[in-house]
Parts: sequence; C-alpha cells; structure tokens
Amino acid sequence: MHIAVCICQVPDLPSAVAVVDGSLDLSRVAWVMNPYDEYALEEALRLKERFPGSAVIALAAAPEAGKELLLKALAMGADRAVEVSSSTLQDSFQTAWVLAEAIGNIYGQELPDLVLCGRESLDLQNASVPAMLAGMLGMPFAGPVTALRADGERLEMEREGDDGLETLEARYPLVISAEKGLNIPRKTGIRQVMEARKKTLEIMQASALPDPLVRFAGAEPVSLKKACRFVETPSELAGLLHRGGFFNTAQE
Amino acid sequence: MAHYLVFLEQRGGCISKVSVDAWNRVQQQAAQEGESVSGFVGGPLKPTALGELYGNGTIYHAQDDALSLPSETLLCRILSALVAEEGCTGIVIGATAAGRRLAPYLAETLHASLLGGCAGGSLHSELCRRYIYSGLVLAAYRPEAPIRIFLQGREQPRRSFFSTDRPHCVSFDASPFFVPHENLLIRSVTSGNSRKSIAESAIIVAGGRGMGGKDQFVLLEELASLLGGSVGASRSAVDEGWRPHSDQIGQTGKAVAPDLYIACGISGAVQHLAGLSSARTVVAVNSDPHAPVFDAADYGIVGDVREVIPAFIGAVKEVLQKK
Repeated sequence: MHIAVCICQVPDLPSAVAVVDGSLDLSRVAWVMNPYDEYALEEALRLKERFPGSAVIALAAAPEAGKELLLKALAMGADRAVEVSSSTLQDSFQTAWVLAEAIGNIYGQELPDLVLCGRESLDLQNASVPAMLAGMLGMPFAGPVTALRADGERLEMEREGDDGLETLEARYPLVISAEKGLNIPRKTGIRQVMEARKKTLEIMQASALPDPLVRFAGAEPVSLKKACRFVETPSELAGLLHRGGFFNTAQE
Repeated sequence: MAHYLVFLEQRGGCISKVSVDAWNRVQQQAAQEGESVSGFVGGPLKPTALGELYGNGTIYHAQDDALSLPSETLLCRILSALVAEEGCTGIVIGATAAGRRLAPYLAETLHASLLGGCAGGSLHSELCRRYIYSGLVLAAYRPEAPIRIFLQGREQPRRSFFSTDRPHCVSFDASPFFVPHENLLIRSVTSGNSRKSIAESAIIVAGGRGMGGKDQFVLLEELASLLGGSVGASRSAVDEGWRPHSDQIGQTGKAVAPDLYIACGISGAVQHLAGLSSARTVVAVNSDPHAPVFDAADYGIVGDVREVIPAFIGAVKEVLQKK
C-alpha cells in the first residue's frame, strides 16, 4: 500500500506569537509537528506494519518547515521525508496545490492508495487543505475520522457527525483526515532519532504558484483577559446570574 | 449584483437550525441591497420543513433518498452546476460538521474564496476577520476570487427575520449527478445522540481535572439540566477518559459561543481558553485563586467544586422558585 502523509508544524505555545505593526512575528516561536498530523502519520505507519510491501512518504509543504519536522517523521518510521520548497504560501489553496503537485511528481500517474492529513493545523484552523487536496487529486475525501479499519480493497471509517457517529465505507484511492482519538502516536527515542539522522532529507522545488484565493491582510493582538469579580458564596453568584437574565431557559 | 445560493442542510426531514439562520440572514441582507437568493435542499422533507424560511427567491428541492446522507463529492457536483446555471457569486453554508467538509471541497472545485468563522461583518465586507493562533490574534483576510463561499455558524441570540413573503419551492432533478459506483458511501448514522451539541448550547457547564473523577460529572449534568444547558469538558478531563472527545472544548476540541460558560475545576490553559473567546459571560470555580482561568472569567468563586457546585445548584433552585 502506498501512503502519502502531509505534515506541517505549528507553534508549541500560541502565546509566543507576536503581532508587530499589523504583521505576525513568529521569531520567538518553538515549532512542533501539528498534533493532528501525528495521528495521520501514526495511522499510516500502522497500515504499513499490517500490509507488507507498503511505503509511507511524509510531505511537508512549508518553506520554513525545517529539518526537525522531517527528522521526526523519519524517526517515527516514515520511509521517506520530503520538504516541498516554495515561496511563502498565502492560503490553503496554494498549500493544497503544492502538495498535489509534489504527490504527482513522486507517484506519477499511479496515485498513492491513501493520502492522510491531519484534521486541521492548530495555528490557523482552516481545516481546508485535506478536502482541497482531494479535489485536486480527483479523490474522494473522508474525514475527520476517529476510527479506521482497512483490508486490501475496502476501508471502513467512523467520524463524528452532527447527529452522532457516522460509519463510512470507501474504496481506494482516498484522502483521509485524522481526528483526535484515531490512535495514540508512538514516542520516538534516541535510537530512532539516530537512525533517522542517517536517512536523507529530500527537498523538492514547487513550480510557480497559482494565485491565492484568499490573502492575508493584517493582524492585531487579542487579549483574553477580563476583570474577574470574585464572589464569596454560591447563592450570591446565583442571584447575580439570575439578575443577568441567564436563567430564562431554566427548566422550572 | 450579488446572487446568493444557500445550502440548506436537512436532518430527519427538517432544515437544520444553522441553515435556517443562514437563509434568513442572507434574505435580510439581500432585501436591503436588492439582491437575489436561491436555496438547495436534498432528501425527503417533512411537509412543514420550510416553514421557518422567509423572504423571496427559489428553493430547489431534490427528493432523492440518497441525498439525506450525501457524500461531499455528490453535493459538490450538484451545487457547482447550480452555481454555474444561476450565476451565483456568493454561496452560504452552515458551519456544521457536514458544512465544514463540503465548503473547502466546493471552494477548490469553483476556485472560490472560502471565508469561514468571520467575526461580525456582513456578506459585503471587504475583509473577513477571524481568530487564529488559539484566539490570541485577530487576522484579516481578503477574498481574491469572484465567487465567495461563507461558512456561517449559529447566531447567539438567533436573529429573527420576518417577512410576509415566502420563497417558492421547485422540484430539482438530481439524477444526472449520481454516478453508478460512488467511491465513498456513508453507510449509517448511530442516532440516539439526542443530547444538545455543545456547539449549539446557550449555557455550558464544563469540568476539568479539578472535578477529581468521572463520577463527579453527575453534579455538572444536574446543573446543566437545571439550567437547560449542556456539559463540556477540558482536555485533561477527556484525556483521563472521564468524558468523550465530542465534549472537549478548546484548541483540539470545539470552539463554543454560549451566553454563559461555567468552568468547574478547569485551570485555564491558553489552549482551553481559546475555545471560549466567543463566550459572553464566563464563570470560574476553582480551588486555586491563582488559576489562569480567573483571568478570562467575569465571575469567580474560589473553592472546591465538589462543595461549591451542590451549594450552587441549591441556590439556583431557590432563586427559580422565587421567580
């Protein structure tokens, strides 16, 4: 089974992101692999272990991805880790586009059986790249899935729908996005990291980008701080909330 | 002149509330600007299903059973054909789980600008402002494509729009859009999820590690049911296995927008507070007076939740009886 996994990195602590004169300043940020991408990569590795002859290729479409992200993917067990290099990606459409192009370049006419992505990246939370990528590759999209059972021909998946748990059935090829709960990603030790350092980190150059569909136009910092009024007793609080009109929907 | 298409999502033969809100909101704006609105709904409907929809325009209804649980690919084929035929420049989709999957798929097909989670503003705004980086940054985005797709959440409180006009419903033939061997099928939905989703609740009572155990959430269930709200949880409570992931609020869970949020035994990691940036009033109960949750709260009580909550339930009952 040929599996491509799309990974990216996000700030470890969002509080390290600063805004300077309407622009984002990410210079103090420490980066980690997007947690949802870890679920995607872990699931790919589990499938690889179950289906002999499988190969997992991790793709990172972030110009500033850095070696650490690719090394982590290799240490977890990816066969290859590829950074797709391009000018700054403006929106989800451009990100999906460079990933689709890289997948085309790597796999040729024979597309991978599965493309796994995280549900969304924790920094911008657009949750758009997986579905857009599916559209570009001409594959159906299933996600965000919380369970996956695969045999050689079919996949059965579960996801949280608006009305409860949905069960999906699909054939290959397919783009899947991973939700929390799908698995518990493996930890990597010194030995795996040392092994990974022996492997080659590949870099692939993206061709000219299409125009973005949405463009970043500035930012401002937000303070979540409120002036908390401390209340001594539960009945005082109940009185305050009652006068605030919060109990109008109460059942009595 | 903009022409809008509203995707009306149905569940069990009824139009979902988020779609009703979206339709009426678009109608209200279109009426002011002299613009036109169409709608699409798939699957069998109850006779009263369209009763809450006001205004002008046409609603295309495809009756096919298969459209009750459609795949994104099928919906995308139908909606992009409608957009082309009607010359739509704006598409409005409710921000449900299904809507969030459909919108980016459709945006890629139509090369449309997807604007989701915009804070305030109208459909005509030049910029979409939305929270990024866990709600710590408010960023502005400019749509660059001629067609725009808006993902709209529920409004709290619901905006009412009444008009004596009613849209007319036209039957839509979806048969050309079905393909014989769809690669992806939604086989079943486990219903019985009659609990109100936390994303749509006006009052949320949430518990964290300070609850001390799974059993203590009974207290929160009781309080939530008394107030007509629902129960949520912090990441720690979910990781402990006390609550399902669907209850999780915060960065790796759901963002919520209730009128009242009661945080019980939640310390207030920035990742949790990120999910609360749209909550109107936040109450925090925690035994640690220095817990960061108090910085994001309007009202706070310092104390053990296992003592404070039962006393609070009693006090609420007392207040309600006087009412």
